[in-house]
Amino acid sequence: MSEYLVETENLCKEFKGFAAVSNVTLKVRTGSIHALIGPNGAGKTTCFNLLTKFLKPTAGTIRYRGQDITDLPPTDVARRGMVRSFQISAVFPGMTALENVKLALQRARGGSFDFWRSRSALRAYDTRARELLDDVGLGDFAGTMAAEMPYGRKRALEIATTLALDPDMLLLDEPMAGMAHEEIDRISALIRRIGKNRTILMVEHNLNVVADLSDEITVLARGEILAQGSYRDIADHPGVREAYLGV
Amino acid sequence: MALNALFSQLLIGLINGSFYALLSLGLAVIFGMLNIINFAHGAFYMIGAFAAYFLMASAGIGYWGALILAPVMVGLAGMATERLLLRRLAKMDHLYGLLMTFGLALVLQGVFQVAFGSSGLPYPIPEALTGGVNLGFMFLPLYRGWVVVFSLVACIATWYLIERTRLGAYLRAATENPSLVRAFGINVPLMITVTYGFGVALAALAGVLSAPINSVRPLMGADLIIVVFAVVVIGGMGSILGSVITGFAVGVVEGLTKYFYPEASSTVIFVLMVLILLVKPTGLTGRGIEATQSAVAPEPASAQGRERVALMVFGVVVIGLALLPLTSVYPYFIMQILCFALVAGAFNLLIGHGGLLSFGHAMFFGSAGYITAHAVKVWGLPPELGILAGVAACAGLAALAGAISIRRQGIYFAMITLAISQMLYFVYLRAPFTNGEDGIQSIPKDRMFGVLDLADTTVLYYVVLAGFILGTLAIYRTINSPFGQVLKSIRENEPRAISLGYRTTLYKYVAFILSGTLAGFAGSLKVFVVQNASLTDVHWSMSGEIVLITLLGGLGTLLGPLAGAFVIISSQHHLAEFGQWVTVLQGAIFIACVVAFRRGIVGELAKVLKISL
Amino acid sequence: MTAEHDTMTRTALKVGVLNAWYGESHVLHGMDFDVAEGEVVTLLGRNGAGKTTTLKAIMGLMEKRSGSVEFGGVETINLPANRIGRLGIGYCPEERGIFSSLNVEENLLLPPVVRRGGLTTEDIFDLFPNLLERLYSQGTKLSGGEQQMLAIARILRTGAQFIVLDEPTEGLAPVIVQQIGRTIERLRQKGFTILLVEQNLRFATSVADRFCVVEHGQVIDTLTRADVDASTAKLNSYLGV
Repeated sequence: MSEYLVETENLCKEFKGFAAVSNVTLKVRTGSIHALIGPNGAGKTTCFNLLTKFLKPTAGTIRYRGQDITDLPPTDVARRGMVRSFQISAVFPGMTALENVKLALQRARGGSFDFWRSRSALRAYDTRARELLDDVGLGDFAGTMAAEMPYGRKRALEIATTLALDPDMLLLDEPMAGMAHEEIDRISALIRRIGKNRTILMVEHNLNVVADLSDEITVLARGEILAQGSYRDIADHPGVREAYLGV
Repeated sequence: MALNALFSQLLIGLINGSFYALLSLGLAVIFGMLNIINFAHGAFYMIGAFAAYFLMASAGIGYWGALILAPVMVGLAGMATERLLLRRLAKMDHLYGLLMTFGLALVLQGVFQVAFGSSGLPYPIPEALTGGVNLGFMFLPLYRGWVVVFSLVACIATWYLIERTRLGAYLRAATENPSLVRAFGINVPLMITVTYGFGVALAALAGVLSAPINSVRPLMGADLIIVVFAVVVIGGMGSILGSVITGFAVGVVEGLTKYFYPEASSTVIFVLMVLILLVKPTGLTGRGIEATQSAVAPEPASAQGRERVALMVFGVVVIGLALLPLTSVYPYFIMQILCFALVAGAFNLLIGHGGLLSFGHAMFFGSAGYITAHAVKVWGLPPELGILAGVAACAGLAALAGAISIRRQGIYFAMITLAISQMLYFVYLRAPFTNGEDGIQSIPKDRMFGVLDLADTTVLYYVVLAGFILGTLAIYRTINSPFGQVLKSIRENEPRAISLGYRTTLYKYVAFILSGTLAGFAGSLKVFVVQNASLTDVHWSMSGEIVLITLLGGLGTLLGPLAGAFVIISSQHHLAEFGQWVTVLQGAIFIACVVAFRRGIVGELAKVLKISL
Repeated sequence: MTAEHDTMTRTALKVGVLNAWYGESHVLHGMDFDVAEGEVVTLLGRNGAGKTTTLKAIMGLMEKRSGSVEFGGVETINLPANRIGRLGIGYCPEERGIFSSLNVEENLLLPPVVRRGGLTTEDIFDLFPNLLERLYSQGTKLSGGEQQMLAIARILRTGAQFIVLDEPTEGLAPVIVQQIGRTIERLRQKGFTILLVEQNLRFATSVADRFCVVEHGQVIDTLTRADVDASTAKLNSYLGV
């Protein structure tokens, strides 16, 4: 296995003449938790959308496991084991928590075009789905409609659904956004645990969380990479304090 | 001589192109600001022509006065429409706007049909433009030259107004970011009203221009608007100049076709649309605004795991229907309802569970009818094989139509399916085996499977009922299958389904084929009930009726299609003597459903009873 | 009455128990603060604390809001957004809101004049000479800094004396940030009242008279410029840095 799971080279994205991301060369080490930080408008979410192919880059290449995935559709990227979360919690609101997770299990295990079989065929996935829900502390919510769950629980459900695909690479877009303190601790612990045998790239604003969790940090500012390294390297970097605080 | 004919066809092409350009321009302007595809555009075009007629007949105001006054009057009427109706949809999915304006078109066209019948009223060419000039290579009637030149001027003036003036800057800015423009102190809601008025005034202007050429008829805009939809799909709605150029170009292509291969002249635009979509699924300009997710779908059911309630109620209804021949109720009428309920159920599978609004389901309903009727009557196949032929043909048709349309979403999908369906309508109109306007009559009623004598009304009734039950259970199973779960997830959050690795387009495609196949099954059954297969069943108004039945019954409900079909078919049955008032009523029901009654009959009932039906 | 006005500064904007919702989600939970005439006030807070929402709610751009927003003594809570804009508030939204389908001149001339005494176009080109050079370029083809200048310039034209700026330094290079700081300083000297949202703390402390710290849709603390040096640690904990 190569040292880096995901590598980008000179990735660029322009919107109506505005360069949202320019010349980003990012390397995510296999097995690491890598954070992407930067002030508002720095291009973090755009980067994310480029990596998962929800946006097409204007220029540059993206490699996953050493293979060029620049021209793949988003579905294929997901099928290769690189799965993302969304900034606004992405659940299927009209389904129960259990059904949400089973939907992902169903994809991974096939049989999804069977329109002639009863939905009860999906019961086979119940055990695994409940395990996954227990894992993120949602064991008691299995029968709850996703729409009726509190915000923090939705985020946890989203992570459980993502984990159901058993991805090698997880991209988390602001997993802590809008969370209360105690929820932040819980999700932090969860991320640390799932990061044990996976590679994680996350966009996060809460610097305490970033300092706590990440092995490697990339700072974006104005669409470009400003600094890269461990939290210590970053914290001492004068350009970073400038970009973040103006001090 | 031949050259002369070529040039005169080209001229006719340019004239039609003028109307296409003016109408698609108006559609584009309205779409930019309101995010609505204005199905009533054809009706306003017609009203423009009628306004010119009235001005002449009752006030003695001639062509030149009408050229100004008619658009102004229609524009004001449009503004009132926006204020009273469309504004209520401002925050909803584009598709509701399409549905409401479709209802509005039915009402307007119905009212004029009641008042004036369907034949045309004459409108004279203004005196100054009578006669023509001989250009050597052709004779140019002055009025026709005037229409082309004046339309071109009107289009350029509109372009100038929008792209080069202060007012146009407001319009462009408000199209891009209405709330910011509002925060600057500009009355955006008023601008929206005026924009809609302006857009339909352009349609009315086209109506006045066409009055001396095409005479004044209540349905003059009904077919035209579907052609204009195809033009819009070809050119996209992103740019003003784009829609004008596409409009004229398509008119010229049509004119050339009339000269070189007249048989194809009514279908050429649709063929062109299909070809362009095959090469470039996003249309020529590729800037079409796509609704990423459709909200025309039922709200999430609150009661989970209670689908069985619906199935139980369905069982009770079926038992009631099975006992019906013991009563004095006329079975013919019920059989018709069952056929319509099944086609609506098939459509509901697509919209209620897949979030896709097809405005062309008549193509399956009608095609299956033709194939089955032909197979039974001409090939002498037994009924069951006739039905099989119809259903198989529809599965193939759905596979083709879906391949062309499924990659486009929201209103584009609706317009493309409508256009494909209209293309088939013209094909059937001309194809020898359909007998054109007469249709295929007196279908033989042989024994089904060698034993069931369809000539016996009671037997036929049970066969149709069995077909309905079979079809509905198939729909129920599809919805509640592993496939149905994925379909539901796509409707609720497509980006998330993609991020989980689902090829969402493929799922929608399969849903489209299933829906088309089942709709065909309903069409095949209907042949044995009504004893004919005719153009009515492939006409766009049938597609509209299918949408209406589903909407009225309740999107995404199991029993809704039956309830909707019962109301609509009985109203047609009992109000038949009132002629076109039925169309007006249906249009009004459409509007009422969209404005105030989006859950439909069964959906509202389910909400009151807090169960899932 | 007039005597009273002379002796005390008048309140330009008074926000009381302001609540706002995005659909079902309750974002502002009773914002309370006011801005005096001629004052520069900054809303500070973490991402998602409700700063931008507060500005939108003041401008009447939220679907649902309740409470009180008094502008120049006029209660605006039930006014439509376009009437609020006409009262003389110039709004410069997050990400600047430059229109891509309009050129620079059209962008500049778009907001209607609501009061006399706005800057003339000559004044504006004097203040922002870059804009004159690029008058006929597409609005969004400008650099980030130029777009920000344009976004500020176009509201100065309208005669509005109250300026609302949402993260004017977002994504801009330090030298441009300084330029924007100087612009705001000049505006203050000309008597403009300014309410801004800012993440760049140093920039904020250099321009503002007062800071309202926002968390969970409420003002949890108010500091003056003089307090800032003494409260660095507290501010850092508020902002999560």
